[in-house]
Amino acid sequence: MQKNQEFYKNRRRIRPDGKAKVTGSLSYLTDLSFSNMLYGKILRSSYPHAIIKSINTDHAEKLYGVKAIITHKDIPGLNRFGIVTPDQPVLCEEHVRYVGDAIAAVAAVSVEIAEKALELIKVEYEVLPILDSPEKSLEKDAPKLHPEGNILHKAGFKTGDMEAGFAKAAAIVEETYQVPRQMHAYMETEGGVIVPEKDGAITVYVGTQHGYKDRFQLSRILDIPEEKIRIVSSPMGGSFGGKDELNIQPYGAVLALVSGCPVKIHQTRKESLIAGLKRHPMKITMKTGVDSEGRILANQVNIIADTGAYATLGPAILDFSVEHAAGPYMIPNMVTEGISVFTNNGVSGEFRGFGGNQVTFALEGQIDRLAEKIGMDPNELRRRNIRKVDDPGPLGHRIAPTNGAYEVLEAINKKLTIKTNQLKDSPPNDKWKVRGIGTAITMHGGGLGYGRLDPAGGRISLSEKGKIEIAFGFEEAGQGILGVIETIVTEELGCAPEDLSIVIGDTALVPSSGSTTASRGTSMVWHALQRMKGAFEQQILNKASAITSVSVSQMQLGRGGVFSITKANSYALLLTYDEIAKQINENETIVVSTNFDFPTTPDPVDGGHFLYTFGAVLAQVEIDLLTGKVKVIDLDQSIAAGPVVSTMGYIGQIEGGGVMSLGYTLMEDALMEGGKYITENLDSYLIPSILDVPFSMDTEAIEQLVEGDPYGPRGVGEIGTVAVAPAIAKAIHHAIGYWPTRLPISSEEILFASSQRRQRQWIKVRQ
Amino acid sequence: MDQGKAVSVQDSLKTDTKKWIQLKINNHEKKLEVDPTTRLVDLLRNEFKLTGTKISCGIGRCGACSVMINGSLVNACLVMAYQINNASITTIEGVAEDSSLHPIQQAFLEEGGFQCGYCTPGMIMAVKSLVNETLNPTDEQIQLALSGNLCRCTGYGGIIRAVKRVIAERVII
Repeated sequence: MQKNQEFYKNRRRIRPDGKAKVTGSLSYLTDLSFSNMLYGKILRSSYPHAIIKSINTDHAEKLYGVKAIITHKDIPGLNRFGIVTPDQPVLCEEHVRYVGDAIAAVAAVSVEIAEKALELIKVEYEVLPILDSPEKSLEKDAPKLHPEGNILHKAGFKTGDMEAGFAKAAAIVEETYQVPRQMHAYMETEGGVIVPEKDGAITVYVGTQHGYKDRFQLSRILDIPEEKIRIVSSPMGGSFGGKDELNIQPYGAVLALVSGCPVKIHQTRKESLIAGLKRHPMKITMKTGVDSEGRILANQVNIIADTGAYATLGPAILDFSVEHAAGPYMIPNMVTEGISVFTNNGVSGEFRGFGGNQVTFALEGQIDRLAEKIGMDPNELRRRNIRKVDDPGPLGHRIAPTNGAYEVLEAINKKLTIKTNQLKDSPPNDKWKVRGIGTAITMHGGGLGYGRLDPAGGRISLSEKGKIEIAFGFEEAGQGILGVIETIVTEELGCAPEDLSIVIGDTALVPSSGSTTASRGTSMVWHALQRMKGAFEQQILNKASAITSVSVSQMQLGRGGVFSITKANSYALLLTYDEIAKQINENETIVVSTNFDFPTTPDPVDGGHFLYTFGAVLAQVEIDLLTGKVKVIDLDQSIAAGPVVSTMGYIGQIEGGGVMSLGYTLMEDALMEGGKYITENLDSYLIPSILDVPFSMDTEAIEQLVEGDPYGPRGVGEIGTVAVAPAIAKAIHHAIGYWPTRLPISSEEILFASSQRRQRQWIKVRQ
Repeated sequence: MDQGKAVSVQDSLKTDTKKWIQLKINNHEKKLEVDPTTRLVDLLRNEFKLTGTKISCGIGRCGACSVMINGSLVNACLVMAYQINNASITTIEGVAEDSSLHPIQQAFLEEGGFQCGYCTPGMIMAVKSLVNETLNPTDEQIQLALSGNLCRCTGYGGIIRAVKRVIAERVII
């Protein structure tokens, strides 16, 4: 990684949660156990689409060791969940719409007994026709999955005169791209313990990406006030968007309230796969025209998303795809139409990249094909259309000025030149192996977007124990928010890591900070500190001054306490933080809080973002012509996201995101047939292993922001995943002349394409 | 946090098939009566409260439950209680020497060899097995040794850097 700018002095810290993780001593929420704890299991539907005729739990209730069985009749409040639109039954009354729909849940003294009890619950179904594709759901006489029909959401964008644009085009490419149902595959499946407390209160020790939102949803389901629900939501063994929506919490909570005992639920991988969210499969048709100079004149985009059985954040994801359909390019004439359709295929929802990955595969594919068609270098074509510093965003809305698009393009182009020369100089010395290199770029909005509640906040205080307590409502899913908080707070205040007490992921202790999603955590921690640090320093120094009679102007915060800076070059510890804390009397506090919103565009464009990050990817592949196996041997990225806060965290996000998308491109698809999953565990749903990835990857951080930019570091949780697929697709084309249109790209199609090509050469020779 | 004793998986089975086994876990002698088909991973997590050994796929594919039996790396989800009578088992909790971190753990910390940390115990066991058996592993040997341990967060970059560092510092374990 290059060092373009010294933002913080020590950006290579060991994460605060590191030691506990490498020693195995960290208690994840699925590791907890409590006395009298029961084990919960959830009965999911046997069919992807059916009417429940009857549910009989009599037999199961008699099983020794069963302590509670619940069905829809036992839900005290609203029997529905969903972050925005509560349309998913906690426990189905009548209609089941996917194989993950829950019908009953059991708490028993052991997992085995709970499983046995599920077998003893008799459910009679009347099977309904299965809508296993958006096309089927959109047929006129298709059964309605929801009262309003089978369309969850439509979104669109229009600018200029598309037909006039196409009329002037020198070349037009039209292609349909298909992308798969990717699973998050966090290593820790959903789970935790729900503990009943006094006076009808509960504590929910279950991972999520927005503790306060879970509290809100559970309050509605349980019909108890939010104040009686405590959500402990951190740490987690990965989430990537997949634990944003409620999963097992409602079942554990109702079982705990009914049985009066703590209830642990930890889904097996198979249960997780069947019930859990996936990335939206989409079919994207793009028709794009350029003039002979490579200027994009028109782009027509049609997106059909398979949103599965329930809404969750499906509408926002489609909006995001529509917004990012123009990518970082200035396209004068454009019509984008998107539709998100209910089916009986699982539930699609929030996943790192949030609709950007799908549409970027299509858009960058179009750019590469157009460049080939007009005989232009694809990065030159990109350069001729790239957005400039003050250009509006992709929906024509005002965004924070940025030159990120141009910078990442030039950076990746340099890498491309070097790698291309290296490949020319030393091609593989195996005649059955060919290599190719491709690049792609993208831009990605952070935060939830215009018109959506996107509050942030934090609190800093001097605790009774003499610690600087910094509290946020974020969760640690592995992304490194704890390291980010430690770096930002110690660097901004000048204190030491030992002076800090970081509090996150517990609604009993933290202020609301909004969701731990949308690449917003790092950004919001930095913003919060900018707002709080002045007042906090002032309060501490005032108190120190009152104790010591030293003037505030002659003191500052440092490692361990307040230092006097009275004489030139003298820097002496005056009072430790502990000493100051001990002097605080009863009616006095040192505490500063802040509440604010994630910055949005001033223009009223629904969902439009304001802070964007930019990413460019170089992929080199080696293709085995005998097997069709594609091996990615280089996956390098240039990222423009403002200053780096934590070097290891940043590189980890980009490399890890890149490899997750390598899987998306070449390996991963949660296959369904007739609404049922065929892949049920990690033996058939394959994610990249160490043998599938480049042995070393390069991450380049372009940290420079435009002069005067007040928005600080941007989050990089998603950007490293977005432009990987098109870069690999282009590298494959470079190697064997074949344009993939469907992910994951299979060995079979590569083998077929490359053998066809060799056959053609052979035919040519023969003639 | 209030963490009491869990209800034992074994308690509920009410079978007469329990057998006494004795074994060493992290060099501590243990003797217990157990259903012979109990998975080792459940034994470790539920009976001995050694929750550093994780469970993710349950079918021996992901390596999150990697431990050593008599010095050999195994998936604890594929081993049953009857198979470990008189065995010596090392889990992640037995890797750190005294109170100081093992050099592999230190390298993981300093090179970003983990993020969520859920694969980390198993991954460290696999690295330990590699460096125990191979003095100076090649890149290919590193890849083969860790190919049974899945990580969803890091993309393996930080893990590879950590392993390379362990090797470069010629730490003989």
